[in-house]
Amino acid sequence: MAEQKVSIRYAQSLLDSAVERNNLNDVYNDVKLIVSTLKNYPELRRVFINPTIRPETKTSILNEVFKEKVNGDTISFLNFIVEKSREDLLFSIMLKFIQLYNEHLSLADAEVRIAFDFSEEQKRALKENLEKLVNKKINFNYSIDPQIIGGFVARIDDTVFDASVSHQLEILKKQFIEGGASLN
Amino acid sequence: MAEVRPDEISAILRKQLSGYENEVDIYDVGTVLQVGDGIARVYGLSKVMASELVEFPNNVYGMVLNLEEDSVGCVLFGESTLVKEGDTVKRTKRVASMPVGDEMLGRVINPLGIPIDGKGAINTNKFLPIERKALGVIQRQPVKEPLQTGIVAIDAMIPIGRGQRELIIGDRQTGKTAVAVDTIISQKYTHTEEAKRLGIKPVYCIYVAVGQKSSTVVQVVSKLQEYGAMDYTTVIVASASEPAPLQFISPYSGATLGEYFRDNGKHALVIFDDLSKQAAAYRELSLLLRRPPGREAYPGDVFYLHSRLLERASKLSDDLGGGSLTALPIIETQQGDVSAYIPTNVISITDGQIYLESNLFNAGVRPAINVGISVSRVGGNAQIKAMKKVAGSLKLDLAQYRELEAFAKFGSDLDKGTQRTLANGARLVELLKQGLYSPVNVEKQVVSLFLATSGFLDEVPIHDVKRFEKEVLEFIEVKYNQIFENIKKEKQLSEDTISALKNAGSEFVSVFKKSS
Repeated sequence: MAEQKVSIRYAQSLLDSAVERNNLNDVYNDVKLIVSTLKNYPELRRVFINPTIRPETKTSILNEVFKEKVNGDTISFLNFIVEKSREDLLFSIMLKFIQLYNEHLSLADAEVRIAFDFSEEQKRALKENLEKLVNKKINFNYSIDPQIIGGFVARIDDTVFDASVSHQLEILKKQFIEGGASLN
Repeated sequence: MAEVRPDEISAILRKQLSGYENEVDIYDVGTVLQVGDGIARVYGLSKVMASELVEFPNNVYGMVLNLEEDSVGCVLFGESTLVKEGDTVKRTKRVASMPVGDEMLGRVINPLGIPIDGKGAINTNKFLPIERKALGVIQRQPVKEPLQTGIVAIDAMIPIGRGQRELIIGDRQTGKTAVAVDTIISQKYTHTEEAKRLGIKPVYCIYVAVGQKSSTVVQVVSKLQEYGAMDYTTVIVASASEPAPLQFISPYSGATLGEYFRDNGKHALVIFDDLSKQAAAYRELSLLLRRPPGREAYPGDVFYLHSRLLERASKLSDDLGGGSLTALPIIETQQGDVSAYIPTNVISITDGQIYLESNLFNAGVRPAINVGISVSRVGGNAQIKAMKKVAGSLKLDLAQYRELEAFAKFGSDLDKGTQRTLANGARLVELLKQGLYSPVNVEKQVVSLFLATSGFLDEVPIHDVKRFEKEVLEFIEVKYNQIFENIKKEKQLSEDTISALKNAGSEFVSVFKKSS
């Protein structure tokens, strides 16, 4: 819990300073790169969690890995985190940053499961309607899941828009079982 | 079982499927982080409300109790083994609620309103939230109608009014449940044609069993059935084997059902048997939710737990139909210790208490009510005039008797006055003894108390008092039934009634045969 609070504070300050210096997009791209690197190389994450490795070593590792690829503000932020001994939270700070960035620009990620590939026409219609519904720009991420039989299941943050055939069948099944008085 | 016709099914299917195309079901979800001991921590569910019902897989429901920064603490109403880490949790957008309606009468249900008596589904179409805010000042009025418990000692000295909260407190095995069950059985009279004619409104009863043995509950239900009291009673059961969250909410369910009757201008009586076990269940889940423990390890809001429950008992103003909800909470003390945390809390919330004591019980005084320290703070206004008149000095007489009784044990010589007080007191104590499941109507109570306080018992040996009472009531019923009718109708003792009573009394005393 305390971790979450700390991560939010650091991520927010990174966001604020990026907005101030007008390089939000660069920083966002950097953060995305860092996140994907940390995701792909768990051993790198382990290095930062390990307290037996000296902070200087951690700083030099960070610099060696990212110096050439990210902009100066980002690298100094990374050094700052290590200096404050919060490097164990690096990954969660980066994830929080992406979340805050999305909120800042009212963007949202949608995980959409579909039974078979949609046509461009269908995708456009879905995008238009969902964006109108949640009032945010949505970044779609499609995946194919034959188990839902037909329709789609879109998840934006905690909200699920379920228009799948399998869900309809489930509701139907429930109605048949419960009949009269029930919890619903 | 009714037969299902195939064409019905296809019609339903067609109807369901025809609306299918443009239906998008929107719901909020979260993920189970941790589960165990009937508690689940959920990540997500960011818009969930406090005390909202959430749905876990395998038809397990839960209630949200803790809203924290990045997780939500839920209590589970079902098997926690059916829920796994990583499961999806769905919001229902309803705060925990239960079905209510007249159809609930005569049934045994669990705190969520699901029948557990095997008599099939209950078809109600109304839902009310389990947690409701109590009414304010404007909607209420002082209690004014009596709630007859049928127990002479209570109706005479610790009267209960409709809309009152009267605590029944005592050690184990002192007859707390018996007092409650007697009260339910006594309400049978209010459902008769005669009561209707006399303007006495029926009282619907709800018996909430919290954390009790299932066998005890079965006994209570069968007793209620035996005396025909189930027709106007609902039993809500969260037995000792149910998870703590269900035990915790069951009194609230009882209050909700009672409020349904009250808000429809009817009268309801709800019995919470017992609140000590509910407090223990609440302590269990509070500790599991990691709320800090306080005195006796109860959480800080255990007072509020009971005050918000008992505050829902009320007498509605006439504008709102004048319905009432009377609450009889029960508290079990340990070794007579009423200064423990929960007993003191509930004593301070309620409008009086009935103390039951095990030494009285063992001495054969049943119901084992300690009249000296039992009080009713508001019920006096609700007593009928006749009862007020005969019971006025009763409490004082008994208190004097108790004091002298202790004194007389020293065996010193006693003067005439003291001897008379002692003899009188012993007869009163004898008169107030009453068997199980045998409630007495108010007019009979008035008559026997009148005879006792006017000295008709003086010549009757103590072991004959109960027989005298029984026979004199039969005698009057057969020969001077008008006396009973007058008391019932006028609700007071007029001069005529008093002289008729005196005559009947002397007539009976002269024919009464003392047993050797």
